[in-house]
Amino acid sequence: MLEKLTQLREEIKKALENATPEAIEALRVKMLGKKGEITAVLKGLGKLDAETRKAAGAAANELRDWAQTQIEQAKSAAGADQLEQSLANEHIDITLPGKRRGVGRVHPITQMYDKLEQLFLSLGFDIVEGPHVETVYHNFDALNTPPHHPSRDRTDTFYFGEDFLLRCHTSPMQVRIMETQQPPIRVVVPGKVYRNDEIDATHTPVFHQMEGLVIDKNVNMGDLRGIMELIAQHVFGNGVAIRLRPSFFPFTEPSAEVDVACYICNGKTKTEPCRVCKDSGWVELWGCGMVHPEVLRKSGIDPDVYSGYAFGLGVDRLTSALYSITDPRLYFENDVQFLRQF
Amino acid sequence: MNIPMSWLRNIVNITDDTATFVDKVTAAGVKVEGIETTGEDITRVVVGLITKLERHPDADKLWVTQVDVGKETLQIVTGADNLNIGDYIPVALHGATLAGGLKIKKSKMRGLESNGMLCSIDELGCTTDDFPHANNDGIFIFLEPHPLGADVVPIMGLAEEVLDFEILSNRPDTNAVLGIAREVAAVYNQPFPQPKITVAETAGGHTNDLITVEIRDAEKCPRYIARVVTNAKIEPSPSWMQKRLTAAGVRPVNNIVDITNYVMLEYGQPLHAFDISAVAKQNGRHAVVVRTAYKGEKITTLDGVERTLTDTTLLITDTEKPLAIAGIMGSDNTKIIDETTTILFESANFNAANIRQSAKALGMRTDASARYEKGPDPNLATACVNRAMELVEQLACGNVVPGSVDAYPTPRLPRVVPFSPANINKRLGLALDANEITDYLRRVDITVRTKNETLEAIVPTFRSDITSEVDLAEEVARFYGYNRIVARHTQLVPIALPFTPGMTPRRRFDQTVRGTLVGLGYFEALTYPFESPKVADKLTIPEGDALRYPLTIDNPLGEDYSVMRPLTIGGLLSALAYNAAKRNDTARLFEQSWEYVPHSLPLQALPQELPKITLAAYGPDVDFLSIKGDVEDLLSTCVSGRLIFEPLTLPWMHPGRTASIAYKPHPKRDAIAVGYVGELHPQVARNYEIEARACLAVLDSDVLYEALGARKTTFTPPPKFPAMTRDLAFTVPEGVTAAQCETAIRERGGALLADVTLFDVYQGQQIEAGFKSMAYSLRFIAPDRTLTDDAAVKLLTTIRANLEQKHEARFR
Repeated sequence: MLEKLTQLREEIKKALENATPEAIEALRVKMLGKKGEITAVLKGLGKLDAETRKAAGAAANELRDWAQTQIEQAKSAAGADQLEQSLANEHIDITLPGKRRGVGRVHPITQMYDKLEQLFLSLGFDIVEGPHVETVYHNFDALNTPPHHPSRDRTDTFYFGEDFLLRCHTSPMQVRIMETQQPPIRVVVPGKVYRNDEIDATHTPVFHQMEGLVIDKNVNMGDLRGIMELIAQHVFGNGVAIRLRPSFFPFTEPSAEVDVACYICNGKTKTEPCRVCKDSGWVELWGCGMVHPEVLRKSGIDPDVYSGYAFGLGVDRLTSALYSITDPRLYFENDVQFLRQF
Repeated sequence: MNIPMSWLRNIVNITDDTATFVDKVTAAGVKVEGIETTGEDITRVVVGLITKLERHPDADKLWVTQVDVGKETLQIVTGADNLNIGDYIPVALHGATLAGGLKIKKSKMRGLESNGMLCSIDELGCTTDDFPHANNDGIFIFLEPHPLGADVVPIMGLAEEVLDFEILSNRPDTNAVLGIAREVAAVYNQPFPQPKITVAETAGGHTNDLITVEIRDAEKCPRYIARVVTNAKIEPSPSWMQKRLTAAGVRPVNNIVDITNYVMLEYGQPLHAFDISAVAKQNGRHAVVVRTAYKGEKITTLDGVERTLTDTTLLITDTEKPLAIAGIMGSDNTKIIDETTTILFESANFNAANIRQSAKALGMRTDASARYEKGPDPNLATACVNRAMELVEQLACGNVVPGSVDAYPTPRLPRVVPFSPANINKRLGLALDANEITDYLRRVDITVRTKNETLEAIVPTFRSDITSEVDLAEEVARFYGYNRIVARHTQLVPIALPFTPGMTPRRRFDQTVRGTLVGLGYFEALTYPFESPKVADKLTIPEGDALRYPLTIDNPLGEDYSVMRPLTIGGLLSALAYNAAKRNDTARLFEQSWEYVPHSLPLQALPQELPKITLAAYGPDVDFLSIKGDVEDLLSTCVSGRLIFEPLTLPWMHPGRTASIAYKPHPKRDAIAVGYVGELHPQVARNYEIEARACLAVLDSDVLYEALGARKTTFTPPPKFPAMTRDLAFTVPEGVTAAQCETAIRERGGALLADVTLFDVYQGQQIEAGFKSMAYSLRFIAPDRTLTDDAAVKLLTTIRANLEQKHEARFR
């Protein structure tokens, strides 16, 4: 009996060497199945006398447990081998290009708008838009533009008859806002503007502005400068220097141009002349000023109580400055090879 | 305005180098836009040393010199008599260029080779003003030795820096050398050295006996001064004057004309000189009458062109004829010619707006009109005419007749502007006391007095821009320094309603649309809102269609940019064509833009500006179904309810591949139109030179925005029980649409039918001609149980029956 058990153990050991999963299963059936050899031994125990049965039973049970474990282990080892094998066969070239539909891009000008809006929203400004076709009154008269100011010329501004035009700046919305709203006012106006400029390497007849207007009590030029610094730093990074330079706009007094330290050469002397700042170290980027009391008065706001500032950001110019784009015509060509870079 | 740096340095004491100077004045609002260096046209002129000097054997007046120019010794023949052996002199080598562009070449003089030229100061564009030791007639001799062969331009300082000053439109006073100098003096806090003018008046008689002046329209001509010069000798002006004129961009003509232009550069007011012999007399005196032209009156201007005038144009006339178009150009018959002996100098002030209108109407913008358009101070006229007389005498061009005739009905007086230092400080964010403010104002010749305990600024008449307290604030800020005003970051307090600070829902919607379309592979494009009227031809819009009557710009850049587009697609089609021309194999573009729709023409009120979302694409993966799918994806983000696509005909779209889009917000409500989608008509594609099949969609942004606003997001718990999916394949006659099949399926699907997905359409082999095979996947879900196969089979049976009955569907 015990001999038989030893013989079976040897047979199992031998069969499990390098066995395939199928062979292992066959072995299990052969040994542990309903009609298996170990099962037969266990069934045969009853015929033995009590003394022998005890010893043989313990040995047979031990063999059965051992066989089960061995077979399970062998099975799982063989399965792992096979999985490994099949995974190896499924190897692919992972440098093959992905299946892409491809995403588009928001236009760089719009991205600049989004960037600016992010700043102004965080400062509690409202955002409003206005009509492209405007009245002469809102575009010029209400903004204190002298009757013979050159910007009123037909060589400068596009007209529809005597009373209507394509707005040449987003400033008419200053008037529309003040007409309907008492201070405090804090608003930016994004939008397209139009000027009668021949299309060339520095001009397009359509471009993009963002007008800002703040009216409140006790607003002074220090506040204006504060916001101008924030804009420059938000667009060009912390620490960028700005310079306010006296200038003239009919609707602000004092008026200033905002120059930003040249982002190309930073004003340092070098062998090659800087074509962006012409070696001045500064790039003129937008205009601003303290709202002229006459403009407030015309819109029904008392200039003795309220003061404020306004600014007109040239969004195309800011975008060009940020990416060193030198030809604004690129913005309107819409070549996907250009657009996908942003 | 171009001003040579040396000219400014002559007037104001500037100790800084040019770069520092530019920084300082620019910071005070006198912006230098550029610096050009002149004298760079003088090339190949080098330092030479006379080593040998002999008489020309065949010419008494010529010398033959041997000149050491470093690398070699050249033989050069000269006529000058002031040379000695050992002199260092400027030598123009073969191929040299001198002032005024004269080119020097090797030549033979009386048989002897001359390999260049020895130069006088005049030939180098200089005068004895520049080099007082030099001899006007002879060769320039250096006072000290210089390296032989060295370029003389830096050694002699021939290079002149010419600064281009930006002139602000409200500052006509700075459109002049003295005006800029006055600002510069203010920046450097120096008193402005106003030039003193002395006129000797060497002729006999008195101007009053020679001339009368009558102004008939004082509004258009506030002032007219006349002075007379006799015994005039017309010749070229001296080179120093020519040099300054040229540097400033004015072409020298003759001494008299150059004097008028020179004074214009100095003071900013044009002068005009007439040959007095052409001015008719009345009662023995030349009678100048300033009046507006008669309608249709003609004048031949000094450029030889006959011009017809309107009755708003101001003329300088005598009793018989026009002498000049006031402030713009003189007549041909009164111009200064070589034979002119007696000259009438006009120093007048004209209304800026009138000059502007006349110059524009006549299409002749001259140096003079450009200055008058800016509105110079009438009080300048005296200094201008007297300065001209002083120059006439200095240059010995003639004798000045004593006195002047000055018609000045209403003299302009200094403006009085009351102000309060507190207001100025409040505006600027400063705390200056009254004395400091007074001091800043004094720099620009504004004096301050106290009247009834109020401070008053007395503003000189040339500062027409200063009319109120805020203008004074700007002057204070300019000289205090804009950049010394410290930034204040005040806490911005929330603003009360009805303003709702933040991004408007509309703007957020536009942003979301961009995000979705970008995710779907579209690039945002920006195009001009105006276009050519020929776009209507390209789009094959029929004659008479309302789209053929768009809003048209009076003064466009050209026809191509003349109409405000009534359809948004033109810009994107051009952009597709541009991409196609660049051989980009796919282009998917979108734009958020407007249709401009006038209520009536000509415009009586602002036109409608209707926002649209326009998609345009071509490429191997682009077809009707792909762009329709993109539109469906986009709409799914804002529209709820069923979308309805129906065949649509538009002139510019493919007749069989275009659909209108509408949605039903509720089964019982009317459908709302959203726009259209489809393939571009092949003829239109050809008109745009787009070879590929292009697809378009135009969506009404307002409708989508309202749909999004009306959409209520309600929560339904996800089903607890698994869905059961069954496929259904059948053939139907090819005229039956997918929409009809789907409707038939849904009609019998009941509440359990959750989704209907068409996954295959096939026509061809094994399918009878005139039929197509459709394969749908149907998804059933019950909220309260796991569906059994039986339940699905039951539903499928009724669905099949419905398809068979309604659409002759056959199942295999």
